[in-house]
Amino acid sequence: MKRHIQAVLLVLTGLGLLHAALFTDLCLRYVKEGQRPVLIASGALLVLLGLAGAILDRTAPEDDGHAHFNVPHADGHDHSAVPDAHDHDHSAVPRVAWLLFLPALSLLFFAPPALGAYTASRANNQAVKKGQHFDPLPATTPLPMTLSDFTARVQQDRGQAVRGRSIRMTGFVTPAEKGGGWYLTRIIFTCCAADSQSVKVRMYGTPAAPANTWLAVTGTWHPGGTLGTRTAPAALDVHRTDRIAPPVNAYTDDLPLTPS
Amino acid sequence: MYKADEVVAVAEETTLLAPSCSQERRTTVRSRAIGVLAAAGIAAVLALTGVGWLNGPAVAAWRTVCLAITVQALPFLLLGTVLSGAINAFVPADLFTRVLPRRPALAVPVAGMAGAILPGCECASVPVAGSLIRRGVTPAAAFAFLLSAPAINPIVLTATAVAFPGNPAMVAARLLASLVTAAVMGWLWLWLGREDWLRPTARHTGHRPGHSRWQEFRLGFRHDFLQAGGFLVLGAMAAATFNVAVPSSVLDAFSGSPWMSVLFLAGLAVLLAVCSEADAFVAASLTGFSPTARLAFMVVGPMVDLKLIALQAGTFGRAFALRFSTATTAVAVITSVLIGGALL
Repeated sequence: MKRHIQAVLLVLTGLGLLHAALFTDLCLRYVKEGQRPVLIASGALLVLLGLAGAILDRTAPEDDGHAHFNVPHADGHDHSAVPDAHDHDHSAVPRVAWLLFLPALSLLFFAPPALGAYTASRANNQAVKKGQHFDPLPATTPLPMTLSDFTARVQQDRGQAVRGRSIRMTGFVTPAEKGGGWYLTRIIFTCCAADSQSVKVRMYGTPAAPANTWLAVTGTWHPGGTLGTRTAPAALDVHRTDRIAPPVNAYTDDLPLTPS
Repeated sequence: MYKADEVVAVAEETTLLAPSCSQERRTTVRSRAIGVLAAAGIAAVLALTGVGWLNGPAVAAWRTVCLAITVQALPFLLLGTVLSGAINAFVPADLFTRVLPRRPALAVPVAGMAGAILPGCECASVPVAGSLIRRGVTPAAAFAFLLSAPAINPIVLTATAVAFPGNPAMVAARLLASLVTAAVMGWLWLWLGREDWLRPTARHTGHRPGHSRWQEFRLGFRHDFLQAGGFLVLGAMAAATFNVAVPSSVLDAFSGSPWMSVLFLAGLAVLLAVCSEADAFVAASLTGFSPTARLAFMVVGPMVDLKLIALQAGTFGRAFALRFSTATTAVAVITSVLIGGALL
């Protein structure tokens, strides 16, 4: 890999990170919000190092550089022909480095979407924390709830506080594999999209909207089993659905859904 | 050097040290041919199918996971390569030999415990370990550091404590099992390891008199970052393939038998390549499995996984990476079973 291409690759990778973290919200499709400052710093550092490298490479003489500095040859191969020459083969960057162009260009021009129904339909339901303490529910109607909270209330709250309550939840549509039903789902992760888990609540009473549609759903608990135990299904009888804009950060299971 | 020559021909990594000129030329011609073929293949596929399939659900999910692993790891890789470049150019050559015990057998556990000070995940530790070896640290000690650093640093232990609330034994077991595995692997290297498995690391000699330190830092960093970055992307692609191809509902099938579940989760840690800061949460979500199996997942994960194997192959050579990863997996599983059995 020639030296100017190395510099271009560093700058492009840095620009990709800056584009995803600083100029747009793209990075939230892949990592947590908390990563953003680190990504911006990395992007800026890469751009700086790439530019500095490009400038310094021009000032450093290329041919007899190794007489003064550790300056690489333009061709990474020649070092092996002269093994006794001292170690000036920094430019012998293996071809695998070309792969770095893929994420850089992908971030800049062709960023893949956030994980959605495809992943959710193939994932296990996320384990909801056990042994939670349940406070009395607020009196608001309809009551906004997260999918995780709803599941925990249905399956663990011995007080059966959700019985008869009108509940409003948001998420995207994941069609069930069989039977034509559908789930309201959220994908959440702790570090990056590679460790994603999904929370699903089964919906009854309305036909499924297309997969990945974001909805706000209002309804009541779909009876079954004994409410407050593991036998109760995390399911909702839907009374009303409203389309909503996909949130910027889709990977949360939080209440206030504010598209910005 | 032609452009096509350089397209993703990983298998054709430079043959090491002084092949004859004709060999050199043959290798170059062969890799050039492979590059041309690969480029032509990709072009043909794109021409025939268009770019629409890139947005199909499975492919889009693969690209997302692949990019997520890369984006998540790049800052740590940057930290690691900047550190390694700085160690190379600015740290006096005899610092490490002065700080570490003279006897390698003692240096190994000390280096293992020193892993606690490198905050971050496993991507940072590979280049740092590489530069330690170049600075004259005995490889056994550097490997102990390489293995322990991503597993026992405060960030990762805190994450483990958060993921397993009310279960401090899990944190202790993870710390202990990771340290023991790292030390055992260091001693194993002293006993069985052979220097010629390691790629000759002639390209860095550290600071040499009469040379600009900044220039050395810049070039060393650029080389390390580009090389490790390429291997990171390769590893991320492999991990994303498993992540997307194997639905997690398959997991439950293995949770029944205690032995199978330990081996299965150890294998899963290798294939999934979850960052060590996040693996505790993944382990906590695998509720069907025994605590020992989940401990094995968290001990193996930071030490061996697809992207790490790729990174190690790039830094230390393939001959080393395969042997080392296999041995580490075996030692880590045994240690997890013993310590998990005692503590959990």
